[in-house]
Amino acid sequence: MCKFIFSLLAWTFFWSQSVYALEQTYPFDDVNKSKVFDELTQELRCPKCQNQNIADSNAMVAIDLKNKTYELVKEGNSKQQVVDFMVARYGNFVHYDPPINSVTIWLWVIPVMILVLLIVVMLRRKKEAGPKIDDNYLAQAEALLAQAEQKNTKATKQDKEA
Amino acid sequence: MKKLRLFIPISVFLLTAVFLYKGLFSDPTDIKNANLEREFPEFELPNLMDESHIYNKADLLGEVTLVNVWGTWCVTCRVELPFMTQLRNQGVRIVGVYYDNAAEAAFGNVNLAKTQAEVEQMLAQLGNPFQFNIYDVKRDLSLDLGVTGAPESFLIDQNGVILAHRRGAIDERVWQQQFQPLIERVQ
Repeated sequence: MCKFIFSLLAWTFFWSQSVYALEQTYPFDDVNKSKVFDELTQELRCPKCQNQNIADSNAMVAIDLKNKTYELVKEGNSKQQVVDFMVARYGNFVHYDPPINSVTIWLWVIPVMILVLLIVVMLRRKKEAGPKIDDNYLAQAEALLAQAEQKNTKATKQDKEA
Repeated sequence: MKKLRLFIPISVFLLTAVFLYKGLFSDPTDIKNANLEREFPEFELPNLMDESHIYNKADLLGEVTLVNVWGTWCVTCRVELPFMTQLRNQGVRIVGVYYDNAAEAAFGNVNLAKTQAEVEQMLAQLGNPFQFNIYDVKRDLSLDLGVTGAPESFLIDQNGVILAHRRGAIDERVWQQQFQPLIERVQ
């Protein structure tokens, strides 16, 4: 528990440090614009270092994109306008939230298709799985079991008496 | 019908295997370029060697041109300079866009005279493929072109439409496969 609290504190500390650093380099008069800028730098993907957003990256192109984002937000462009600006130059790749089109639609459709397929297969299996039980056989088996038990109890009684 | 169903798992497996195998060798830097088949962006930038001479888009039009984004600090650019010089000797028009990594405060101050000296030295040593070099002072043109680093090359036609975009060095093979057919098509 102590460890958990400590790591939580450490995480909060470092996170606030990075936000603070960004605010110092890119100052805004308007709180809303500052918020838009923070969101954008989190959502825009660095085209050079592909597994980082531009807030986290110090690649030259990421710095250029950050500066451009700052400039555009400061001029009063909306979030969508900035995203469109970047997508026009670097393609959908640059935004972590790609639009749904003929290529990306499969990312949504395939998992649903697999899920449906699995459910169908499972339901079919269940129907087929239950073995057909003959009632006569069952009665016979139960009778045999009862007999065996009787013998058993008798045997143990005799053992005790002996 | 029953027998046919037995092939479903193996075909699913094969399809997945092929898909993953292809992914194993795919190039992560091969991002589909948003600029393809588009107009070259407008710009107004000085000559690298003579700041008083300003170029704009019109200076690139008229013939098929290879625009090469490069810098002396970039190692891969060194590698492609000799081949590019060969191309120039074959009559390809090559224009340089100098992608300066010093133009951002985080990388130190700009010292244009030093850069010019470096450029002159490097081009004398490895060959000069460039008809002229545009100095992309703040890398604005590069940003408009969707450049992620150096070297990158753009092939544009007589009217300034971008025909091809290559991230990374151009060599004989890339030129023959990717650029030559495009040039033949527009000429």
